[in-house]
Amino acid sequence: MFKLNLKIALRNLFKNKVYAAINIGGLALGLTAFVLLLLFVNHETSYDKWSQELKNVYQLREYHDYATPDNRQHWMEANESRIGALVTDKIPQFKYVTKLGQGWGDGFSVKPDNANPVIVEDVRDADSLFFKVFPYQFIQGDRLTAISKPNTIVLKESLALKIFGTDKVLGKRLNIIMWRDDPGTMMTVTGVVADPKTPESVKFTAITHTGDREKDPDHINSSNHCEIYALANEQLDTLQMNKTLQKVYVDYKKSSFAKRKITFDDYYKNGKRPGLKIIPLKDAYATPSFDKNWMDKIKPIVALSVFLLLVSIINFVNLATAQSVQRAKEVGVKKVLGAYKKQLIIQFLIEAVLQTLAALFICVILVEVLLPTFNNHFDVQLTFWHSEQLPSLVLQLFGVFALVSLLAGFYPALILSKYNPVKVLKGNYETGFKGIALRNGLVVIQFIIAVTFIIGIGVMYKQTSYVANKDLGFNRDRLLNISANYNVGDPLVERIKKITGVKYVATTTQVMGNSFNVPGEITYKNNDVEVNTVTVTMDALPALGVQVLKGRIFSPEYKQDTVNTAVLNETAAKLLGKNLVGEKFNQGKNIFQIVGIIKDYNNEGFDKAVLPTVYRVTHLGGMSSTNNMLIRFESDNYTSALKAVEAEWKRTYPNFPMIYTSVEDAFQKSMEATRKQMQIIGLFSVISIALSLLGLFALSTFMAKRRTKEIAIRKILGASDFQIINMLIRSFLVLVVAANLISWPIAFILTRSWLEGFAYRIDMPFWPFLIATVVSVVIAVFTVSLQARKAAVNNPVDALKYE
Amino acid sequence: MIKLQNIEKYYANKGVKSYILRHVSTEIKQGEFVSIMGPSGAGKSTLLNILGMLEEPTYGEYNFMGEDVTALKERQRIELYRNHIGFVFQAYHLIDEMTVAENIEAPLLYKKIPGSERKSRIADVLDRFNMVAKKDLFPNQLSGGQQQLVGIARALVAQPSIILADEPTGNLQSAQAEQIMELFKKLNEEDGITIIQVTHSEKNAQYGSRILTIEDGVIKEDISVNGL
Repeated sequence: MFKLNLKIALRNLFKNKVYAAINIGGLALGLTAFVLLLLFVNHETSYDKWSQELKNVYQLREYHDYATPDNRQHWMEANESRIGALVTDKIPQFKYVTKLGQGWGDGFSVKPDNANPVIVEDVRDADSLFFKVFPYQFIQGDRLTAISKPNTIVLKESLALKIFGTDKVLGKRLNIIMWRDDPGTMMTVTGVVADPKTPESVKFTAITHTGDREKDPDHINSSNHCEIYALANEQLDTLQMNKTLQKVYVDYKKSSFAKRKITFDDYYKNGKRPGLKIIPLKDAYATPSFDKNWMDKIKPIVALSVFLLLVSIINFVNLATAQSVQRAKEVGVKKVLGAYKKQLIIQFLIEAVLQTLAALFICVILVEVLLPTFNNHFDVQLTFWHSEQLPSLVLQLFGVFALVSLLAGFYPALILSKYNPVKVLKGNYETGFKGIALRNGLVVIQFIIAVTFIIGIGVMYKQTSYVANKDLGFNRDRLLNISANYNVGDPLVERIKKITGVKYVATTTQVMGNSFNVPGEITYKNNDVEVNTVTVTMDALPALGVQVLKGRIFSPEYKQDTVNTAVLNETAAKLLGKNLVGEKFNQGKNIFQIVGIIKDYNNEGFDKAVLPTVYRVTHLGGMSSTNNMLIRFESDNYTSALKAVEAEWKRTYPNFPMIYTSVEDAFQKSMEATRKQMQIIGLFSVISIALSLLGLFALSTFMAKRRTKEIAIRKILGASDFQIINMLIRSFLVLVVAANLISWPIAFILTRSWLEGFAYRIDMPFWPFLIATVVSVVIAVFTVSLQARKAAVNNPVDALKYE
Repeated sequence: MIKLQNIEKYYANKGVKSYILRHVSTEIKQGEFVSIMGPSGAGKSTLLNILGMLEEPTYGEYNFMGEDVTALKERQRIELYRNHIGFVFQAYHLIDEMTVAENIEAPLLYKKIPGSERKSRIADVLDRFNMVAKKDLFPNQLSGGQQQLVGIARALVAQPSIILADEPTGNLQSAQAEQIMELFKKLNEEDGITIIQVTHSEKNAQYGSRILTIEDGVIKEDISVNGL
């Protein structure tokens, strides 16, 4: 019987090729989106699972506001280095505690003997216990002793191959140059570790052991920040341990403050509080310090893929039930021949399974074909067949397969098997046929999803083009940012300034792509105001091309500028009051005079608001520096000038290649996330609209068929073709309009919350709503009329003869 | 074999009962060939459907081979007609996606008859109906008469004790109709299969042994045909 049912199923699929193709193809699309998502989720949840021993590894996090992007407290991965010794001492459950420097700059220059230097990112300095905590597999060297001596380096296999072309590199020497005028440190390769197959949250290409991590700064007022990881004896009760850590930390802070002559209450005021905790390493990746974690980030994508799968399942159900008129007779006859309802349900479920299987097959092919593009576009490394988790992936796929088969097959099976044989065999399908309301409902849901997608894409498009064309408040053309520190009087800078085509060379701690926010508190007319402080050189503001609103910006003509002047941005000026130029404010004991106010300029993406900022050239009150060396060129055609700059650099620092980026690129990068989001929503909307239309097409075909007799009679009574088409279209138009009405508020709420993620955003536009409605109605009418026309121009005699 | 007592069938619509069948009581014995006649809408088909257990009477008692059908559960009812009743329809109702052989095989599948026996029974029936050459054709490749032959073959292959036929020749030309009626007569006389057919044709009714005439849901006449 199974064989026969299978045969019938195949014959039916073959007979209704178009339906079968729509059904299977649609389902395959929905499945593909879903499987890609599944792969991504699998990848993201596979962090730090490359060894069993990592279960007992914990990351320490301190709650502080040092070097945070918004100057507020966060649970930071960077801890004060003294905490390492503290927990080693106070927490007996920690077997080993290791300190790991955070990678900084844009990479170090690594120079083997007799070879050119290369820039290598993520070279990190660790204390000697690093490989005792992290169980990396040593291909060369000994795990326990590799970094016990100073100036040793352990490479990942991939880096060893990149630099030397082989992993037999024990004893080779590498000169590590950390910044451009660093004389470099000679390091001996003492080990090569295998690259784990699954991703790691502790990223490195090489671990150096300089010995610096073994000691803390001598002076109690200086501090040094690094990541701290602990290997525990056993799996810990994190809640319990965090209570202990908090107590240990507060005691430590109190005694440290006592030595520094600060009171605890004075330091932790205005909502600031002390905090220290551990999190299991496997959770570290999913709980970033201030960014949204990956799960929050992909929530919209999850929703999209689920919706897409839903749309394709709805299609499947719709088409299957619509098609069931043709199967009604078969059901009736079989029932009369003595089939149980259960047998019929199983038969139709098998058909659904068969189609889902075909869809799954296509989906697997599609996934394989699309993965490289997908990886490239979203900058991930996903694999399917070669995945480490293939068994669990296959299991998941099977789960999805079973779920989809059931969802798609069960309802049509139930409907079909319910047919009353007497009615069906008499040729009376309509009363034996229920579920038209449900199918209409499903079409409405499909259109709600499609229309919401169209509106979403419209709003996103408007916002993106608004942002792309928005005035940043500075001129980002012809502006280059070399990753290098800059000191006044630097001979290289003086030489670069002389190159023709170079207009300004300057530095600032705040430029798009690399901003370093230093919080400060200033007092103006007895008001304390929290601001962001930025250290610039004399030429920095002109080099950026900022717009002056009041007063002036820094200039060498004014001697006072190197002593105690400050420029405010508009946001800061608003906080202080009016008529500020010439007024003075205090920061601690120091007094600054305000010489000018500039228009706000965006130095981060448009999702972040510009902070109230004070710009200073002077050393007074301390200054900070970051690796920004800005070069503004005279003209758009600056290739030759850039070549001259590079040549000058190479002459000065042969062992440290120049790293640079244009500010325009940095700006594009800041918008990339939004652009990608828009692209994926765009893609999903196209697919969902296509699927919805296919669904509508199939439903209208069915409808036209079902009403063949009615149409014939109306024609005999004198209805014109146009009137018939009109009649058929109207019933669907109601559905599409209803879907539009429902999706408007949904889309409004969704897009509004998306827009709220931008500090600079458009007002809710009206036209995407209008366009979505017009588009959906027009294409729906077009789709339906394809079938309606066919039904309408038929000769009524044929239709009636059939009866 | 069949005993109907006071069978009633009506549809209640807004409190008004419209009767299809009223006070139908009759008895049909094994080996009879009964023709049900009457004008359109008299309730012939409904009576046949009730006999075939495809419809339930609103009221009354129906005994089939000593069992009270109205008291049976659906599963038991299916079991009963699966084993004893064969249906033949005016519009043949062959399954379009199945070949002739597969159509004939279908009822055997539901009776869970083993494959080898299925094959021999199908071969037997095909042979008897002279359709071996057509066994792999699909219904739409056959003429109406041939389709009805397949329909009857399908009904017979399960070896029923009774065949219910709803205007079996209604869609056929008279020559083909005659052939079908001869076949029924032969089945009735040689194999002892009970046959109940609904027909409009006085001529077809003459093939049977008894004629039940129904008018407005009531049995008007019950006469036996004693040869010609």
